[in-house]
Formats: sequence, structure tokens, C-alpha cells
Amino acid sequence: MDLELNDIQQELASTLSKYLRSEYDTAKREEILRSDEGISREHWQQFAEMGLVGLAVPENYGGAGMTFNEVAVVAEAFGRSLVLEPFLATAVLGANAIVLGGSEEQKQEILPGVCEGQTFLALAAFEPNSRYALESPETSATSAAGGSVTITGEKNSVLGGDVADHFIVTAVENGELGLFLVAADATGVTRAAHRQADGLGSASVKFDNAPAQRLGGGDAREVLAEVIDTGNAAIIAEAVGAMEASLTMTAEYLKTREQFGAPIGANQALQHRASDLYAELEYARSMALYSRLAVTSEAAGAEKDRHRDVIASKIVIDQSARNISQESIQMHGGIGMTMEYPIGHYAKRLTVMTRTFDDADSLTAELAEIGGLIEPQAADLN
Amino acid sequence: MDTLLNAEEREFAQQMRQFYRTEIPEELRFKVATGQELTKDDMVTSQRILNQHGYAVPNWPVEWGGQDWTPVQRHIWLEEMQLACVPQPLPFNVSMVGPVIATFGSQEIKERFLPATANIDIWWSQGFSEPNAGSDLASLKTTAVRDGDKYIVNGQKTWTTLGQYGDWIFNLVRTDSTVKKQAGISFLLIDMKSPGVTVRPIQLIDGGHEVNEVFFDNVEVPVENLVGEENKGWTYAKFLLGNERTGIARIGSSKVNLARAKAYAAVTKTARGTLLDDPLFSARLTRIEAELTALEMTQLRILSTQAAGSDKPDPRSSVLKLKGSQLQEDISELLVDVLGPQGLDFVSDRVQGEGLSDLPLGAVDALPAYFNTRKVTIYGGSSEVQRGIISKALLGL
Repeated sequence: MDLELNDIQQELASTLSKYLRSEYDTAKREEILRSDEGISREHWQQFAEMGLVGLAVPENYGGAGMTFNEVAVVAEAFGRSLVLEPFLATAVLGANAIVLGGSEEQKQEILPGVCEGQTFLALAAFEPNSRYALESPETSATSAAGGSVTITGEKNSVLGGDVADHFIVTAVENGELGLFLVAADATGVTRAAHRQADGLGSASVKFDNAPAQRLGGGDAREVLAEVIDTGNAAIIAEAVGAMEASLTMTAEYLKTREQFGAPIGANQALQHRASDLYAELEYARSMALYSRLAVTSEAAGAEKDRHRDVIASKIVIDQSARNISQESIQMHGGIGMTMEYPIGHYAKRLTVMTRTFDDADSLTAELAEIGGLIEPQAADLN
Repeated sequence: MDTLLNAEEREFAQQMRQFYRTEIPEELRFKVATGQELTKDDMVTSQRILNQHGYAVPNWPVEWGGQDWTPVQRHIWLEEMQLACVPQPLPFNVSMVGPVIATFGSQEIKERFLPATANIDIWWSQGFSEPNAGSDLASLKTTAVRDGDKYIVNGQKTWTTLGQYGDWIFNLVRTDSTVKKQAGISFLLIDMKSPGVTVRPIQLIDGGHEVNEVFFDNVEVPVENLVGEENKGWTYAKFLLGNERTGIARIGSSKVNLARAKAYAAVTKTARGTLLDDPLFSARLTRIEAELTALEMTQLRILSTQAAGSDKPDPRSSVLKLKGSQLQEDISELLVDVLGPQGLDFVSDRVQGEGLSDLPLGAVDALPAYFNTRKVTIYGGSSEVQRGIISKALLGL
């Protein structure tokens, strides 16, 4: 049994964290956050040159041909540095949707630009007043004679939608869910760019008879399910990075902040609460591994368990993230409430992440409905 | 978990699974599965079968009956044992005194005690805690005063689990009261039949007799019963407690108990269907399932780094103890709540007789088990002690 990162992954993690420490420190991030676009295209270009954007894209489309294992390493490092650029939106959700669902032609057309850092993607799946529901959108697709398709409907919470060049849109045609590609500059597309509480960009997008292409020809439900599961596994890895940084920072603060003539960390009340956070972080690391294994497993029947294992992981991560983000602010006291101090930024990112693609309550209900993780077994012998 | 194992490990798991289910009498496993109390004979029978096959003391050195296993194999051995509801070998023999003797004892003391300990020809009791030395164990006061070729032992030990069956007791005793408290402790083996040893039962809130007080009144103990060096007992005790923490999360047993609560919930009627479909109950159950998975993965992560080379005790095992014990308590409470009013009677037999319905299997022990399980966040280093270790060793506070 070997659950550690392999040499290539360790190398990737250490190169990336070195880069982020020098090129993406708190001051730099602050500057990016305050910029008009809220992202640094220069950094994005460097990420692309480092091969990070097309990490899991097959090599014949310009990617590095690696797996989600490496994507998770990047996500965790980005979580530690609270990277603002749309890695999840473009490199995980968008690229995955096209790799899994696109036709050969669509892959050739879009993926090389993505891998080079020239093209941003966004998955437009959520709609107003329907929370996290994905399966039956009101947005509709209409095919005309000659094969052209148009999309009509409204999407919100489109992560990375503020800068996207292409949207991957869920829409229903003849009662069937489909995935469609829509260029952001197509006629009939109107978007309102937003910033999430964590500084990442999103958008509300209206499609009014916007010209679209159907994404490939496979089962859109299956593609969407895998895209979301992988997206959640990436969020989980990123959350672990953010939690680790938060707890390290908080432990450091407990050691250095003095009140009543001693470091506040000398108080057992705080020591024990910090220890609980450490245990939560270990749980989170474990479930990041669990979900990573779930989405990369090639074992027979793994697909069936993939969704179950990812949502179980996210249920645990939600609890860890909530405790660590809330307690980190509390233990910092007033300074934790300020924009100038980083701890609150971690709390904001964690708070948003655990509510991206479903929250813990709905996931718990769903996991219960599909039978949970343990088979019932009465008190007799099998 | 099986998918994480490599081919040999999977085969090993299969082999253990098969062994436990064919070699350990079904009657014993049934008792464990249904939460019935095991007798001394039950435990001895089970351990002797394990010992015959080399499975009682795998954590010991090979020359004394241990197995040259990886940490992962040891984990599988224990996990499969718990899943098969096999009575576990007596921890006092197998994980406590055995390894201490094997590591620190003289050749003579090893030969004298180790084979009998593995085969449970000697039933060991643990003489560590005292009325005023609980979490602060090093403040213990039981004294052993050297008098020629023997020690004279006086004092009191408590919480001596299953001491009513004990043949011998391994004791921490104070041999020097003039030095720092940790530096004056020795590790002494005492025959419980010696004059001056008295065992008195302590009744627990679960209705059972599991623990005892042990009194020593001018008990004469030959000096050759000292393990290792005089006044080095604290080092040996820390070694022992470190071993105790491994496997203390009892993940396999928690899985069995959770699966049982779930099976009952599925056949328990409520106003709107079964209890398993009840939204609040199922949310609580499901969160516990997810947490148990997190605990198991944490254990496997720790094991996998151990397998990769380091054999030192990992302070992260405190996380396993802290979280694993809490989960055991949560699961025991879940079962009580599944049973509802039927679970509230303190009864010792599920067969009620005279045309009355039998209680469901496992219903008898739900409430006693709930109360008994309160101990798991107290023993083996209380949750507060574990938090202290995490705070110091892992957070540097």
C-alpha cells in the first residue's frame, strides 16, 4: 500500500510552491485582487507555460497528458496561496467537459488554446432559484434544419464566467439534457460579471437564441456527473491547501500573540481547540486522498462508487473547513476580521468552496439516499 | 479499503478472513457479534487458537512468536479480526506486558514469561492507575522497598480491568521517592496469589464487573521479577502506552456496530416509513459513516508512511485515539436510539419467555454498551491528554 505522492508529483508540488512563494505572495495577490479584471493574465500565462493549465489534457491536444492526481497537487498548492485565476473553471471543469464530452473536432479546436493559456472556459449549469439542481435546467436548446442549434435561458453562478471565451451550457432539448458550447461573444449572449466573496470571478449569463454547438455526442448526464465529481475532488484538494495554511498561520499566531504577559497559545482552552482543528485537518487530508482515489480509480466498477465517495469526502471537508475557517478568525481576534490580514481571506475562500456544487446538507441527504458507505448487517454472522 | 491494498496484501486479508471464519468457534464469534459478555474461558480459548497458528502476538519479535509483518499486515490482522467478531487476544498480555518484557527484559525473564503470556497460561492484569494518579500517572505512590533479595510492596492500584481473572499483575511502583517523579519508578511483575494482594470489584454504571481495585499490603516480591533496570520504569511505561494507542481506534468494531445499527433501523417502523428513511436519523447516521471513512483513511495514511520506513511512534496516532473513541461513543448512542423504549431496560437475557417476544439480537447490550463505552474517551490517555499531545507535538504550542 502506497498512499504517498510519487516522485513526479512531489517534484511538481515543490516546484510550484517555490514559484508561488516568490511570485504569488500576499502583496502580489492583493494587487491582483484590486485590479480591474481580478486576475493576472501574466500569471495565467506562466501557469500555462509550466504545463499546469493543460495538465490532464491528452498530449495530442497540447496538454501534458497527466491525471487528476497531478491536478490535485496543483489545486492544493493553489489553495495554500489562494490563487485567484480560474484554474477550477478552465483547467478542471471546462477542459474536462471538452475532453470527456467533446467531438474530435471540438477538442482540436478548443483545447490547444486552453493549454496555451489563451482561452478561458466556464461551465454554465446553475440557474436562478434552483440552488444546486443540475439535472433539469429550464434553459432550452432548439435544433433547426441544417444542424444549427440555438440556446435560450439564464444561468447564474457561472464560475469563471466573467472572463470565459466559451461557455459549456446545460440545456434541455426534447426532454433530454445536453451540453452545448457557446462562444462568449456570440449574438444573443449577455453577461453580468460578478466577484464571489472569495475574490474569484463569476457571472450571470443570459442566452437569447444564442448560436451553439452540441458538445460531442455522448451521454451528457454522464459527462456532467464526471465533470462535477472531478470538480468537487479538485475543490477538496484546494480546500486542504487553504485549511493547512490557515491552521499554520493560526498556530503561529497563538505562539506569538501575547496577552496577560504570555503567548495566548499557553492557554489550554486554545490549545485544545487548536488540537481539534488539527484533527479536522487530518480528516480533510484523508478525504482529499479518498476522493482523489475515487476519481482516478481504474478498478472495475469504480464509476459506480465515484460519486458516492466524492460526496462522502465533501461532507467531511465541509465540516473541517467550517471549523477551521471560523475558529481561525476567532483565535486571531479582531485582526482576523480585517481585509489587511490574510486569515480572513482564507475563511472567505473556504466558505465559498464548501458551497460550490452542493453543500454538506444536501450531500448528506443524497449519500443517505444512495445507501451510505456501509452495508447494513444485523448482529449475526455472515 | 481492499482497493488500496496491493496484490499480496489483498491475498493476506483474504487469508485472515478465511482463517477467522473457519478456525474460531462460531459460538464465540456470535457472542461478540451480539454483544454478549465473554467468559474467561471464551477469551482463553480464542487466544490459544490464535497462538497455535502464530496469530496471537504478531507484534512481538519473531523469536518469541511474533511475525515479520509490515504495519499494513498488522492492521489487516486486527481489522479482519474485528470484522469477523473474533474475541481479541488479551491486550494486557499481547500489547502491553509482552512487548515490554521482549524489549527490556533479561533473557531469563523472557524465557520465564513470554511463551506463557502468548498462550495466556498467565492472565496478566495492569497495575498502573492509582486513586490519585490517573492522567498524571507519574505521581503514583505505590512503593516497592528493597529488602535483601526481595521488594516489599505497599499501595493501591485501581481500574484494573478483568483483574478478577488475573494470575499476575505488571505494576508501576515507586522505588525512589527522592528524585523527580518520573525518575523513581520501576516496572515490577507480581504474582497475584502472593500474600497481601487483595482484589476488590468495582461495579460500573453499565451494570457489569469489569474493573477492580488491587491492594498491596506488605507484599513480598523477589527482585528477579523486576523488568529491566530499577528506576527506568517510566521509559518502559511510555513505550507500553505508545503501543496501546496503536489500534485503539477500533475501526473494524465500529464498522460492525454501525452496520448493526443500520440493519435495525431498516426494519424499525416509524410514522412515515422506516427509521432508516427518517431524515434526521439518516443524516446523523450518514455523517457518522463519512467520519468513520475519514478515520479509516487517516489510519491507512499513517500506516503507509510507517511502511515506507519510519517505525517511530507517530504523534498523529493521537488523532486516531481522539477521533476513534468519539466515534465509538457516537455509534453506541446511535444503537440505543434505534431501539427506542426497548433499549431502555437493563436486562441480561433477550429471551423473555412465557409467550413474550424475544428482544431483537443485540438489543440486550445496547444501553449497557452505551454506558460502558463512555470509558473509551477516558482510558489509554483521555481525549484531553490526546489534545495536549497534539497541541505540543504537532502544533508546537
